[in-house]
Amino acid sequence: MLIERTWKKWVYFYIPLTVFVVGTLFPFYWMLITAIRPDAELYRSWRAATNTPFWTLQPTLEHFRDLMAKTTFPQWLWNTFFIAVASTAISLFCGLLAGYALARLRFPMAGTLGTSIFVTYLVPPTLLFIPLANIIRTFQLGDTPWALILTYPTFLIPFCTWLLMGYFKTIPRELEECARIDGATRFGAMLRIVFPIAVPGILSAGIFAFTLSWNEFIYALVFLSSPEKKTVPVGVVSELIRGDIYFWGQLMAGALLGSIPVALVYSFFVEYYVTGLTGSVKG
Amino acid sequence: MRAATTTRRRDIQLAYLLLAPTLLLLLTVLAYPVGWEVWTSLTDLSPLKDGPPAFVGLANYRAFLADPEFWRAAAVTVVYAAVTSVAKLALGTGFALLLARPFRGRALVFLAVFLPWAYPASVSVIGWYWTLSPPIPTAYSVLMGNIKYAVDSAFGGGAWAFVSVTLFNIWRGSSFIGVFLLAGINAIPPQLFECAVLESKSPWRRFWLVTVPLLKPFFALAVFLSLAMAFADLANVWMLTGGRIVFPVIGTHAYWLAIRGGQFGAASALSLMLVPFFLVVLLVCFRIFDPPEGTGA
Repeated sequence: MLIERTWKKWVYFYIPLTVFVVGTLFPFYWMLITAIRPDAELYRSWRAATNTPFWTLQPTLEHFRDLMAKTTFPQWLWNTFFIAVASTAISLFCGLLAGYALARLRFPMAGTLGTSIFVTYLVPPTLLFIPLANIIRTFQLGDTPWALILTYPTFLIPFCTWLLMGYFKTIPRELEECARIDGATRFGAMLRIVFPIAVPGILSAGIFAFTLSWNEFIYALVFLSSPEKKTVPVGVVSELIRGDIYFWGQLMAGALLGSIPVALVYSFFVEYYVTGLTGSVKG
Repeated sequence: MRAATTTRRRDIQLAYLLLAPTLLLLLTVLAYPVGWEVWTSLTDLSPLKDGPPAFVGLANYRAFLADPEFWRAAAVTVVYAAVTSVAKLALGTGFALLLARPFRGRALVFLAVFLPWAYPASVSVIGWYWTLSPPIPTAYSVLMGNIKYAVDSAFGGGAWAFVSVTLFNIWRGSSFIGVFLLAGINAIPPQLFECAVLESKSPWRRFWLVTVPLLKPFFALAVFLSLAMAFADLANVWMLTGGRIVFPVIGTHAYWLAIRGGQFGAASALSLMLVPFFLVVLLVCFRIFDPPEGTGA
């Protein structure tokens, strides 16, 4: 690159970078500080002389302890985990098969089907929750995990299919043809040659699906009602806010505990995720 | 010749077999509900009412078109989508350009930038809520309260709630768009940029004449996803206003009608009114930008 003057580097690079990073991280810092702040300090007046809005001198784990012991938070964690794993498994299974068919096999209406599966990804939950609520009432699935496990694939399958289709297209056909010449059936070649090569793509689709279902809010809000059946996002918002009373310390503790594992997993696999995305844009 | 046609027929059978689970699931939980919704929007179905639902034609739609509340919600939705998308795109491009060059600690910065998107919106929104609309007795609530009243009295009730939802959406969305565009920039062969450096001295010109055209498909998809998500936004607004209707968007309006009010017919009509918005967005996006290859087609 060209040699740049130092002040230019500061103005065009370091200062904007710092502003961006502080902006993105500040809310997380705020959540952390609120979660470990003792109650007495949380509700102290603005004008108190000893006020320390941006840090705390007596960090406490009291809110975390209360959250684990006095609420059904551990149960919410388990519910969310179970629902996310089950719906991810269903969507990956469907997405793998459909993605392979759309990427590799020539059949009438392949284009139309591909487009319509992509279009379904654009149907927002806001449009769907009303009729789905009705269906779930009809089948008496309300307030069970199955209500969510069967509805989450509406937005997971189209994305998985689309992402995996892009990934399958980057795998050379010759590999498969070799296997066919050696006597494998098309199905066998798919199982033993294509799927193992596509593991990074499958991983990225799986992680994406898992996080999406972990974070889902609207369906969980509409379809579940008893406190012990709820998922983390809905439970934290609806059970720790009663009327106008907010259990702020516990809320923040719940917000941190409920999502740090997911955020970590996501961050570790971000490379896969990004390759998967760009792969499917470039086709 | 004969062998070729049998293989082809087998391929077709296999294709439909592989697509069967997906199609079955999507038909039952997607196509059927949408159909049901279209039909319901033409009736006065409500669990609170006795007897079978009556067919009312387009009455639900007409009622909304005559309702100033609806137009207000629609206007808010459009402004919300437009403002957030422009800001997200600008900030996201900034992120991507800053991170495109290698520097020490880049991996860490990348992680920091990506975190808002990776973190569940439903819980990070709580952090924002606490920051922007703090409860009465907190340390800094007087300060935030003053800002809130200033904004609300300048632009009307609910303005501060609108600002806070918009800020949250921008914070979260620009993170995604930044990572997405960075992937796009990395996919461009570096020779093109080196060539451009020889051709023009102004980084501004290089950005508009080289980077932007090369990133077009990525921009198109980013804009589309961002607009579509903002139009259908219900969860963010819901959580950042604590479930109260402080300012209406179409999503929260429909939620209240259906779940709290039990008026399925009217609520269906309302959410179907989002469809024209979507079509406009689709058309505009793919008119301005070339459609990205491989998505859908």
